[in-house]
Amino acid sequence: MGDKLTIDSTLTCDVLVIGAGGAGLRAAAQISEQRPETKIIALTKVVSPQKSHTTTAQGGMAAVDPKDPEDRPIFHMFDTWKGSDCSADQNVIKKVCETGWEEVVWLERHGMHFSRTEEGRIAKRPFGGHMLNFGEKKSFRACYEATRTGKGIMDTVWDESLKYGVDFIGQCIATELLFEGNRCIGAIIFRYPEGKFLAILAKATIVATGGKTRMYQVSTNCRGNTGDGLVLALDAGLPVMDLEAVQFHPTGIIGPGILASEALRGEGGILRNKDEEPFMERYAPTAKDLAPRDLISRSIITEIREGRGIFNEAHNAHHVWLDLRHLPKEVHEKKIQEIESFFRRFAGVDPVTELCPVTPTAHYQMGGIPTNEFGEVQNDTQTIVPGLFACGEAAAASLHGLNRLGTNSLLELITIGKVTGERVIEYLKDAKEPETLPSNAGHISFDQFSIHLNSQGNEKYAQIRDTLRNLMMEKVGIFRTEKFLLEAIESLKTLKERVIHIPIGTKSLKTNQDLWQIWELNNLITVSMVIAQGALARKESRGAHFREDYPERSNEFNYHTLISMPEFNKVAFGKRPIDMSLFEAKGECFELFDYIERKY
Amino acid sequence: MSKSYTITLEINRYDPDTQLSWIQAYQVEVGGILRFVDVLRKINDEQDPTLAWASSCEHAQCGSCGIIVNGKPLLACELLVKDAVEQFDTYTFRLRPLTVAPVLRDLVVDLEKAYEKVHKALPYIIKPAPLPPEGDEYRISQERLETYIEATQCINCFCCATACISSHRNFLGPNVTMANIVRLMDPRETATKERLDILYREDGVYRCHTSRACSFVCPKEIDVSHFLALGKEGKF
Repeated sequence: MGDKLTIDSTLTCDVLVIGAGGAGLRAAAQISEQRPETKIIALTKVVSPQKSHTTTAQGGMAAVDPKDPEDRPIFHMFDTWKGSDCSADQNVIKKVCETGWEEVVWLERHGMHFSRTEEGRIAKRPFGGHMLNFGEKKSFRACYEATRTGKGIMDTVWDESLKYGVDFIGQCIATELLFEGNRCIGAIIFRYPEGKFLAILAKATIVATGGKTRMYQVSTNCRGNTGDGLVLALDAGLPVMDLEAVQFHPTGIIGPGILASEALRGEGGILRNKDEEPFMERYAPTAKDLAPRDLISRSIITEIREGRGIFNEAHNAHHVWLDLRHLPKEVHEKKIQEIESFFRRFAGVDPVTELCPVTPTAHYQMGGIPTNEFGEVQNDTQTIVPGLFACGEAAAASLHGLNRLGTNSLLELITIGKVTGERVIEYLKDAKEPETLPSNAGHISFDQFSIHLNSQGNEKYAQIRDTLRNLMMEKVGIFRTEKFLLEAIESLKTLKERVIHIPIGTKSLKTNQDLWQIWELNNLITVSMVIAQGALARKESRGAHFREDYPERSNEFNYHTLISMPEFNKVAFGKRPIDMSLFEAKGECFELFDYIERKY
Repeated sequence: MSKSYTITLEINRYDPDTQLSWIQAYQVEVGGILRFVDVLRKINDEQDPTLAWASSCEHAQCGSCGIIVNGKPLLACELLVKDAVEQFDTYTFRLRPLTVAPVLRDLVVDLEKAYEKVHKALPYIIKPAPLPPEGDEYRISQERLETYIEATQCINCFCCATACISSHRNFLGPNVTMANIVRLMDPRETATKERLDILYREDGVYRCHTSRACSFVCPKEIDVSHFLALGKEGKF
């Protein structure tokens, strides 16, 4: 069109929350409950925060009830530490596990519709990797709302934000962060409906943009989970942490990879190969089908590689079976009926009488924008970036290290979300109003958009997208090798060059789906490069990151990977130490918080 | 290999810059277990990148992809092509955007505006019941929860509001009314009078004329009209 892109208007607020999902709005709710006069603007890509991807989480959220006669927070802390393959930060583990129940009660008192026991109390169910007595037997630690726990949490924090007058701006993306010196003072956003750029000046900014696994062919993530928050940080010269740790959920429904919750195995579901053998008994003799996700995903792929998978013609893919036929009627009808409906609808099988086809699906990002235990973002020297906070899946505090246990993510949203909110309240006490819009505000965004709007060439969006997704699945997936990772990095460089030659379908700025998706694809390629580089550099296997050429965990790599990439493929590596405060405190069972062996 | 066949989608187009609308037909080869969102994506990939349509989770949990297919409001991610062929007994499908909000482009409507009505239901707990002791949760019996839990599954996809025979302008809508009724039934809420005032607003539950179209189309299979009937009964 030739029209110059400009900032249409500027808004100001006290707190800008980029991403209005479970974590972002838990933080917003905390701030507004304690300080109702705070002006908060929360941004989301979808039409309402209620539709954030948090709402699709199914299984539950782990929290030890202090009244539980058998369970104790220290067991939960151990499970999380072991589950992370000794890479999570122990100060964060302690904080989250000790405050979990308090936050569950907060949700319930604010109206969440938890499933109940016969006594009317919050019900609990077992979940993978959560055990009693340091790994002895399964624990009933996960609180849940049928199989829509995520929806319950999302609705509750959204309700509270509504109650306290948080302003929402939907259908927008944050395209660059704004800085005054080294202090973050807000962001530039682009609105989908009108096609306009706005500047938002804020005393404090919280990045809570969630996950990013849409660069994998088979993924549980929604259309908009394209790692935008990570790119905001990278563009600002900040590092991201542990991105090589991508969690593949073992039971995605064959095809697009729709999530079939771990709760199915929690209620007794069993994985079987083509001979109907319950193969997890071989890979994890104690925990079996409730072993952590990375272990099960690798076991499934191994079964498939060794010829014991089942081939599905319609989807041209291999899978294994999840057997639910033996579960009691009540479980089918009351506890897991929603997930079963997915199998009926999207795979055409009846879980009551037939075996369900499942395959590992890219699900969750353990890594993210590095923060301390209070949600304050750190740069590559672990110095706090004033005015910038991050929480939820987009951040890495790190609660999960290189592997996450099921039900610990929803827990993280509400615990670290709250802690971040509290920290922002502290920060706001002395924070000054940002003075003016920086003179070059928007230039990153305008450059990027102009490139796409004016691109010449005959590349096809679908081709680049599919090439990316297949390449990542094959070469930066569950099993990695140096050869494949190097090939992936070269391919990503090519894709980056190609993406700017996709001719745009329409040059209108209004509701331009093509432009939006190409912008997102560019982000996916950027994030993919960081994942591949991190995977290449970590010459060991730990948690979800598995190197066939380095299959053992090595003490040489007892640190978090930091990667900065202000320009594509100019990566700078750094290390952040793993916090060992539980081990160092020499308290109860401290030796279990050493770099222990990980067997289930 | 499951056999493939051709379907025709006749889709309402709208260009916000010229404000022109027209109907555009696309012929698409399909086969296997394809959802309508997969078909729309296929059209973008192979034929027309400018066709705009909304979705997010693509497995019927978020309610972002509502459209009208051959007169029926539904979720584009939930409707499988093979089921549609059977249910509607045709290979030709008319696709229109939902009617509850202004059209932004093609099948994308400004649901953010529609959500402004949802906010009027005050979906949170306005005035909590006295807190349980010792940091405990409220006790709610399974029987009590059963009476309203179904309604809490609502994802505000606006299919019911689209199907509703009452005017969007004069009625808050079935989903909005139901959200208020959920909290009227929730034992933790004590602001009964305030909620009844919302329920019996000029644009409240008495605008419902019991067509039960809402229950018929709800993708979550919630009996929305049951809860609206409870609202008219008023025993809260």
